[in-house]
Amino acid sequence: MSILGKIFTWWNGATIGTSLFTSRRGEKVGTDAQGNTYYRSKNKRDLNTAGSYSGGERRWVIYEGANDASRVPPEWHGWLHGAFDDVPESNLPPARIWEADYTPNATGTPNAYRPQGALEMGGKRARTTGDYEAWTPE
Amino acid sequence: MPKVTVDGLEIEVPDGATVLQACELAGKEIPRFCYHERLSIAGNCRMCLVEVKPGPPKPQASCALPATDGQEIRTDTEMVKTAREGVMEFLLINHPLDCPICDQGGECDLQDQSMYYGRGATRYRMNKRAVTEKYMGPLIKTIMTRCIHCTRCVRFSEEIAGVDEIGAVGRGEDMQITTYLEQAAEHELSANVIDLCPVGALTSRPYAFEARPWELKKTLSIDVSDAVGANITLYSKGREVMRALPRINDAVNEEWLSDKGRYQVDGLMRRRLDKVYMRRDGKLQAAGWDEAFTAIAEAVAGDKGSIAAIAGDLVDCETMFAAKALLRACGSNLLEGRQTGMAYDVSNLAAVNFNSSFAGIEEADAILIVGSHVRWEAPLVNVRLRKAAKRGAKIFIVGPAWDTTYPAEFIGTDLAILNELPSHIAETFEKAERPAVIVGGAGLKNAHGKALALAAGWGAAFNVLHMSASRMGGLMLGYAQKGGIADIAEAKPKVLLSLGADETDYASFADSLKVYVGHHGDAGAHAADIILPAASYAEKDGTYVNTEGRVQFAEKAVFAPGDAREDWTILRALADALGVEVGFDSFGELQSAMIAEVPALGEEGLADYGALPEADKNTRAEGEISAYPVRDFYLTNPIARASEVMQRCSSELLHAGELQEAAE
Repeated sequence: MSILGKIFTWWNGATIGTSLFTSRRGEKVGTDAQGNTYYRSKNKRDLNTAGSYSGGERRWVIYEGANDASRVPPEWHGWLHGAFDDVPESNLPPARIWEADYTPNATGTPNAYRPQGALEMGGKRARTTGDYEAWTPE
Repeated sequence: MPKVTVDGLEIEVPDGATVLQACELAGKEIPRFCYHERLSIAGNCRMCLVEVKPGPPKPQASCALPATDGQEIRTDTEMVKTAREGVMEFLLINHPLDCPICDQGGECDLQDQSMYYGRGATRYRMNKRAVTEKYMGPLIKTIMTRCIHCTRCVRFSEEIAGVDEIGAVGRGEDMQITTYLEQAAEHELSANVIDLCPVGALTSRPYAFEARPWELKKTLSIDVSDAVGANITLYSKGREVMRALPRINDAVNEEWLSDKGRYQVDGLMRRRLDKVYMRRDGKLQAAGWDEAFTAIAEAVAGDKGSIAAIAGDLVDCETMFAAKALLRACGSNLLEGRQTGMAYDVSNLAAVNFNSSFAGIEEADAILIVGSHVRWEAPLVNVRLRKAAKRGAKIFIVGPAWDTTYPAEFIGTDLAILNELPSHIAETFEKAERPAVIVGGAGLKNAHGKALALAAGWGAAFNVLHMSASRMGGLMLGYAQKGGIADIAEAKPKVLLSLGADETDYASFADSLKVYVGHHGDAGAHAADIILPAASYAEKDGTYVNTEGRVQFAEKAVFAPGDAREDWTILRALADALGVEVGFDSFGELQSAMIAEVPALGEEGLADYGALPEADKNTRAEGEISAYPVRDFYLTNPIARASEVMQRCSSELLHAGELQEAAE
């Protein structure tokens, strides 16, 4: 990402401040299927000073692309929120063959779900209570 | 007046009362399935068991046990409780536990009573009985596995409707309720068995799986399918009327309702007028209200008085009064409601009213019916006539034969017979204590005067049986010209306001601007030059007067679709467009103006029309009744004609034979 892009598009990836903080105090832990990178605090002293209220390790994510929290897949979501100590690959059972790929929330995007009858779906819906058939002169 | 003791409370009960009625008088609720106030006593469900002393030391069926002096009745003992639990357990042995998919759920007697009086669980481990479905026509859906053999439907068909259509075959567990040959129940009151059925064995076919009773809004209304004015409740969900059920009113419909009144409501969702239409270049095209009003104002410009109004069969008194006020403000009095061209004398409304009252006609002991197919024109009056016949009334009918549900003598189709009645008939009426004469739609034209004279001669009650819900109200508001609708045609009005008039022959108004204010696209809309969409009876408050002169109020259940407005608002806006003052700005003001003019319309109940006019002894009746005005019971008004259910009834129940013949 160009430096200009970094300055003006705060909604993509980390801001300059976050990047700086991450490079100084963060330790890279892993990357998920979407390319989001996960970090934890490098130094023990950060446990008390850098905003960890629980006293646990501080963990964060830098998105590859749009900053949308729903892009964090469930296994990394668990790790981010301290549900387990180690990274998901070594802590969770391997994904089953029948498990669907994780998709972020599509609300507000062109891929969002539209019910039958929405204008984008042609505007035709099934008959429902209260529908009436209007008379036409022909 | 026997004195009985119910749970320690001593009360006096009327002679001939049953133990069950005694308990009800004492305020004790007795569970029951087969017992019904208006049907004969069967005593076969055994749910009403109580303990009675003196008597055998076992529970007694209270519905079939006469109350006698000194009886000590207990409804709260252990014996009664276990007896009820036992009966309920037996009933549930063969009753499927399918309440979640049963249409009766929520209004089911068995469901309620098993909650109150049943045991918590069953001890029955064997297979339940299953019964094949029976076909009972387009209105009644059967799931006979649920039947508990109360035989209410059988008794209704035999006793009230008077047709042996439903019966029981087999005994004990193998008993089945059936229409014998799987033919449809064909009479006009068939759907009442759905209300009577205490379980979900007979449910409504058009309403199947549509809604649950607790999610419906209940609105008190009046049926407009005929002139009886049956009291109904409209059950609506959102903006749709889901069903209509009768309300109990002993003076009008008891607790029955004709199939048409019950099932025409689906017509409220079809063929609706929801836009303003104007005829341009010979074709009706969508338009705006302002355009339409301007066109009407232009048509009467310079000659405001040249405006006439014809009231349809379904309109309420408020609509008719609003139109009358509008016409009066314009300086016109061209009002007419008798669409088919009738021109009987209305100078005395008692002469065109059902003076016996519906409850009173039951007491008559000799009845002469002139030109009325009562079974189709007013099925609920036919029920009353059947009651009268069962009490021994002799009934004579002038007109083409129809299938009466009671013994009656058809004395020909020639009205001249009234001038010289056969001796046995004249004798019957002279001897009768409470004779009555009923004149129907086919007799009003040529035999009205003669029937009046006959009634006066015998001292008989004189009755006119109308067919349209708006008729008596219209006559009270002056919707009648001396020469009927022909007078209106002769006046050649520039604008003809048609208030939902669909039976009128518009050909005689070729030069008028025909403005149709109505709710259904029927004959009137097709003939109209301007269509203003209005509300049906379910979509507006209104006053209706039935054929016995009973003033009744109906309430608004749902909103009219699309651009449609309540009729009076349209007429009020039209007054502004025509630049006249009608004197009301709200429905309340309209009603008080109407009541100020016709005070009788403000009081619920029978209107007083005074004494019958002096009859002219020398009038003679002549002419032949070739047919009755109602050709097809199920398709008499625009709502019913739009209703799919009514169309199916008509083709399946009335014209099935014709189809078969055509196929052969």
